[in-house]
Amino acid sequence: MTTNLLANLSFYIPEMIVIVTMMSLLFMETAYANNERRRTFVYVTGVIGMLLCLFSLFKNLGVEAQGIFANAVVVDSFSTMMKITMVIGTLGTFYISHKSIDIYDELKSEYLIMAVGVLIGGMLLASSNNMLTLYLGVETLSILSYVMTSLKRRDNLSSEAAIKYALYGGVTAGIMLFGMSHLYGMFGSIQFGPIIEGIKGLESFNVAAVISLLLFFVGIGYKIACFPFHMWSPDVYQGSPVPVTAFFSIVPKIAGIAVVARVTYSFFGTETVNTHIWNSLIALIAALTMTVGNLSALNQKSVKRMLAFSSIGHVGLILMGVLTFGNNGMSAILFYTLIYTFMTLVAFFVTTMVVNRTGSDDAVYFRGLMKTHPILGMSFLIALFSLAGLPPFGGFVAKFNIISSAVGNGLYTLSIVAAINSVISLVYYLKLARSMVFDTADSEETIESYSLASRVYVIGMVIPIIFLGLFWNNIYHLYSSAKLYLN
Amino acid sequence: MVSLQAYLIVSLILLITGLVIMISRKNIVAILLGIELILNSAALNFVAYSKYTTNNLDGHIFSLFIIVIAAAEAAVGLAIVIRFFQIKETIHIDEVSELREEIAR
Repeated sequence: MTTNLLANLSFYIPEMIVIVTMMSLLFMETAYANNERRRTFVYVTGVIGMLLCLFSLFKNLGVEAQGIFANAVVVDSFSTMMKITMVIGTLGTFYISHKSIDIYDELKSEYLIMAVGVLIGGMLLASSNNMLTLYLGVETLSILSYVMTSLKRRDNLSSEAAIKYALYGGVTAGIMLFGMSHLYGMFGSIQFGPIIEGIKGLESFNVAAVISLLLFFVGIGYKIACFPFHMWSPDVYQGSPVPVTAFFSIVPKIAGIAVVARVTYSFFGTETVNTHIWNSLIALIAALTMTVGNLSALNQKSVKRMLAFSSIGHVGLILMGVLTFGNNGMSAILFYTLIYTFMTLVAFFVTTMVVNRTGSDDAVYFRGLMKTHPILGMSFLIALFSLAGLPPFGGFVAKFNIISSAVGNGLYTLSIVAAINSVISLVYYLKLARSMVFDTADSEETIESYSLASRVYVIGMVIPIIFLGLFWNNIYHLYSSAKLYLN
Repeated sequence: MVSLQAYLIVSLILLITGLVIMISRKNIVAILLGIELILNSAALNFVAYSKYTTNNLDGHIFSLFIIVIAAAEAAVGLAIVIRFFQIKETIHIDEVSELREEIAR
């Protein structure tokens, strides 16, 4: 048994690298506390750690799907691919945090420590196969996120957002635990395997089981900000510093989507008595999430808030892919999350630059960005078009794959709702694009922090959006070969 | 001998009390206390089920983890409340209202 557990460690190297990175960042932070040059060291350490983690994740891709640590955690290519996307997102936000003035200079290393910590929680969540590891993942993710939200110390909006986040997070985690405790009582184990067996064994519609599963879903639904639990998201996004907002719309969301997909597919993948209740519930939530997100985004002044609502809309679309998980849905989700990461990084990098100049993320400050900063404006334009799902960019392919897999599985109503929502989302994305291209700028002054490295970064993030929109076959094939570990 | 039902009823009462505190109290520290009650109701359920129905130690382990994480969450929550108090000089929940919809023209 003991040797078995030790042997399992070899599959857990990516997570261990992230943990070691976080520890070394903490030591560096304490050792060089009063040194100006320490920031460079800290960033170099963070980037090296993330690159090593990425490398070992790629090595893990070939591993056969299996449960490790007494089946508490799984290693399968689906979770590994999700983790790769998460690590890429974290790396991308590192540079945004380096450039942003929203995070004070003395706190930049703390941002890195927290971000890497949230990544640990997200990786645990994406590969959890047991209610305890799931809960630990959710809490590691949440508790560090509360701290990240209040990182802008002397700002009242930041601390207000943190209070809202912490209170919502605490109560939803508690409700999720309540549901888990009844699942444990009913099926006699905290492992997913016996619970799945128990759900399959139910003879008829079981109210207690369905209610417990609903309560269980509250906690995860809160993390991905789907419809009834999305109210915290715009406030927290608006109050947090911009790099933190970018981070929140990538890592916790992708981790939450991974766990929703795993739970939906492994609990309700096969036909049982309670299957269609859960599936119609997810379908309803997906439709409502898309509609509410896109309609609320229509008239926002704050761009951060608009992006928050638009990310709620994207989660609705991804939930559609979760419904068709066994049949093309998995590759569609994986592709969507990858593209979504790059689009979000570009959008938030441009927002960071504008906030650096004006101190506000109001949409009026984006006027004439195209004329004052052509590369920045062009990248933002591409990101917005891609977010709206216009060809030939990656966002179109991602949306197309999700909707085509939904149509292939006979979810016609949901597909129509998704198509209508695409049209609604065009309105607010193009409104911002129009004011950026055609309106004249209020001032001709350029952004000070916009350096050569920034240009390289933003172009480097735009290339995947265009490239994956044109040549998506190869990566889509890779994603179609992903496997999910089934108990 | 106390029955399983008694434990479940107590934990349900704890959950509802916690939710009512969340909704009705105006003091942020009191709301954090309400969250603690909700977490404890789940921990009580786990231990009760572990004793009466499932006959394994999973529930006990889980409740230990709940206690530890609840402490961490309370620490972070209180730190955030202190930061809020330093800025606003109040911990009244109605003051947490600056972030809201602003409709563009």
